[in-house]
Amino acid sequence: MTNTSLKLKEADLAISDQIREAARRLLQQKEVELVIGFEQGTLPLRFTPCFIRNEEDVDRLVWNSFCSNNLAKYLIKRTEKVAVVAKACDVRAIVELIKENQISRDQVVIIGVPYSGMIDRRRIEAELEGKEILGVEEEGNNIILKGNGFTKVLDRNKYLCRCCEESTPANPVIYDILIGELVEEKVPCQSPEIAEFEAKSSDERWSYICAEISKCIRCYACRNACPFCYCQECFVDKTSPQWIGKTTNPSDTLIFHLTRALHVAGRCVGCGACERACPMGVDIRKLNSKLVGDVRELFGYEAGTSLEGVAPLATFKPDDPEGFMLNP
Amino acid sequence: MIAKIVRESDLINLLGEWLKEYELIAPVKRDNLVVFDRVDSAGEVLFNYSNTVKSAKELLLPQSETLFTYSSVDHSASIEAHFNDAAPKLLFGVRPCDAKSFLLLDKVFDGERYKDAYYLNRRANTLVVTIGCVKPRTTCFCTSVNGGPFSEDGSDLMLIDIGDAYVVKVTSDRGAGLLEGAELEDAGEDDLASMKRVIQDAEASMSPKLAIEGRQENLESIFDDPIWGPLTEKCLGCGVCTYLCPTCHCFDIIDEARDSQGERIRVWDSCQFSQFTLQASGFNPRLTNKERLRQRVMHKFSYFPKNYGLTGCVGCGRCIQECPVNLDIRDVLNDLLMESVIK
Amino acid sequence: MKIEKVLVETEDRNIKTFSLSFANGADKSDFNYVPGQFAELSVLGKGEAPFGMASSPTQEGCLEFTVNKAGLLTTALHNMEPGDIVGVRGPLGNGYPLEQLEGGNIVIIGGGFGFSTLRALTNFMLDDRNRGRFGDITVIYGARNPGLVLYKDELEEWGKRDDLSLYMTVDSANGDWNGRVGLIPNIVKEVAPSADNTYALVCGPPVMIRFTLPVLQELGFPSDKTLLSLEMRMKCGLGMCGRCNIGSKYVCADGPVFTLAELSKLPQEH
Repeated sequence: MTNTSLKLKEADLAISDQIREAARRLLQQKEVELVIGFEQGTLPLRFTPCFIRNEEDVDRLVWNSFCSNNLAKYLIKRTEKVAVVAKACDVRAIVELIKENQISRDQVVIIGVPYSGMIDRRRIEAELEGKEILGVEEEGNNIILKGNGFTKVLDRNKYLCRCCEESTPANPVIYDILIGELVEEKVPCQSPEIAEFEAKSSDERWSYICAEISKCIRCYACRNACPFCYCQECFVDKTSPQWIGKTTNPSDTLIFHLTRALHVAGRCVGCGACERACPMGVDIRKLNSKLVGDVRELFGYEAGTSLEGVAPLATFKPDDPEGFMLNP
Repeated sequence: MIAKIVRESDLINLLGEWLKEYELIAPVKRDNLVVFDRVDSAGEVLFNYSNTVKSAKELLLPQSETLFTYSSVDHSASIEAHFNDAAPKLLFGVRPCDAKSFLLLDKVFDGERYKDAYYLNRRANTLVVTIGCVKPRTTCFCTSVNGGPFSEDGSDLMLIDIGDAYVVKVTSDRGAGLLEGAELEDAGEDDLASMKRVIQDAEASMSPKLAIEGRQENLESIFDDPIWGPLTEKCLGCGVCTYLCPTCHCFDIIDEARDSQGERIRVWDSCQFSQFTLQASGFNPRLTNKERLRQRVMHKFSYFPKNYGLTGCVGCGRCIQECPVNLDIRDVLNDLLMESVIK
Repeated sequence: MKIEKVLVETEDRNIKTFSLSFANGADKSDFNYVPGQFAELSVLGKGEAPFGMASSPTQEGCLEFTVNKAGLLTTALHNMEPGDIVGVRGPLGNGYPLEQLEGGNIVIIGGGFGFSTLRALTNFMLDDRNRGRFGDITVIYGARNPGLVLYKDELEEWGKRDDLSLYMTVDSANGDWNGRVGLIPNIVKEVAPSADNTYALVCGPPVMIRFTLPVLQELGFPSDKTLLSLEMRMKCGLGMCGRCNIGSKYVCADGPVFTLAELSKLPQEH
């Protein structure tokens, strides 16, 4: 059922080859039992997680700008030795998960892929307003989309994953195998989106968030896509005490999103898996992204950038900011 | 009954007439999504779209629905049942897959043993005007599950877009009632020829059929097969597929109270959620995503057909479009059926 | 319904039997049930949960439920007192197939908390109006320890009867337990009567069932004469909410009583 017309651009072809090579070697030499990466999906813009255990399947592995799922999710509490094809944000998640004892460092072989500019398929789909995309090709900075009776060319820089658009690094923080070479690191800059949000008044922010949340259908795709939502029993499922109701009552839905944002605050690496998983287009990442900035500002901490340091909300330091108590 | 013809401008008028008698629910654009919503004027109706993000099932089975309200006083309580949404509704612009899904939901909620009064109340009040699919998507697989882009199952009226007009087919008595007084022209020979062409083109454009029909026993025979592990490994265990699905009907019943008053509410639930089958003893027969996804596939393609004689899927493809990890049920079924032949 | 009486069954006070009467007289005649069926008990504001009927329909005017304190609803129930109101929705499920069992000998094997509907069935069969319809009745009932034995007074009465063979056991004894000590499967091996024209009805925790069934098979009990009452998470009780299925069968509507023969045709997912 896979899309047979897969045409990767040169650079992506080279990366794909190197990934396959690495995977082949690791499996051959029995250094790992499993390689987690991406393979072609069943829709033109979709590339999907794949689990390779045999050498003969290694050629399924591919890489391009649409490999946007966060694969760190699949590493949690594994018993076997695993290799993972990880871009920068995946690696940041892995780093935090190692510190949280969900992944053991010596159990995972990180095949790091430096890559600046993953494309967010949701942004493209929105641009095309529901018209079905039958084929996609990348040429330089152009994304060429083909459909029934139309071709559309887009400038890739306007359709990047938000995380790639912001200041977050494009190089894996740690790795065991490096695919290609480290790319030129981005100059940190604040996302114009977050700046716009911060410029809003309290009331405006409240209206914005409430309007977004009203679209939520409580499918929990955001939660399940997030590498940091791994609690055995999520707070939404608890009955004693019951934290939130199960209906789509806006108040309950809001509490769900606010609580989840706080639960991952200080650990969230801003990968945007939550946002891309949402079928209803809720701007989930805005809140998380804002908190990433707040954590940086208040605690000087950036999740996923180092194997040292504890997430601020998981620890206490005497010099933690107290403004909320003294100047509410 | 003879097919009629209606130009788009006349259709707008017809919708206006219908609006006088019914609550009109139709596809509309909200932000970047196409959803069903109540419209107050025919002009709000969206005609050019493939399918809505959420299915039409919420019109018969709302995501949350108050079953009754209660109020307790000392050692007694009074309970008041709520039959909401009593007003007559006209669901306009559904696709044949969603229209057919109502027939499947009927099997469950209008069953031989038990009937669900809340569902039936809505069902009786809802008329269905379907617009056939001139441009099926690559993810549509209705023809693999006994459906089709112009299937009339579940519709009261069927509209087929032949370019400059719609052919209108009356597919039920209630549909005939909708056209009373509309004085539509009969469809001419040219119109019918165009219609035939449109239908042929649409059907020919559909992705190749899957060989699912009648294969319940095959699926059952490999229930314990290890193939389920790799097939389900990337599943995140969220509820997207089940919530968007027109035929998924699992629900939970909860109470919400404030002091001595409250309500009992039915809400959607999903067999994909980790606590769905968790027992009071702590034992969970479906402990991992593998068992839960297996349940979804088996329920739709084996248990439901066994119990009701119909495949429990209408091939709308929403689960394929929206699954966060692109877990494609067509691939799953193909792999399973191949495995069952090997074993 | 109204709570008439609350009886604490176990030493740890985690299991209580509630005797309920109908608040509305007309309901009494509408509520016709057979042993093995269940009802959804509700505490308004907390929710609903399924419980097997622990009383026999021959016990006129009252309905008993034995409730283990395990979660939100059961805790709320445990905090209730005589005079309080609870909701009852039922009867639901298929119950034990009484016509089929008639004329045969019956072996009842109950473990722990699962004994409640078997107790209802036993009381039904022991009733003067019914006793003649059934052959020999053997009851094998076990609890984890003496403090967890349910229906103590009733069991004492049963022990005195000569139209019933009662064997009780505990997994581990303490203090003044004079009876058998041993796991149910072992006791079954020891005391089970001949399998000839005999039905075996089993209910208890999964591990007990798993080890008892092979013993019964060895003793010659055919799979279509071995009946199990299954536990599943249930909500609607009507086969609609999709939660309690084993394969194409819903435990709430097609069960909870199934023969082993029926179960062997279903996916092994319970």
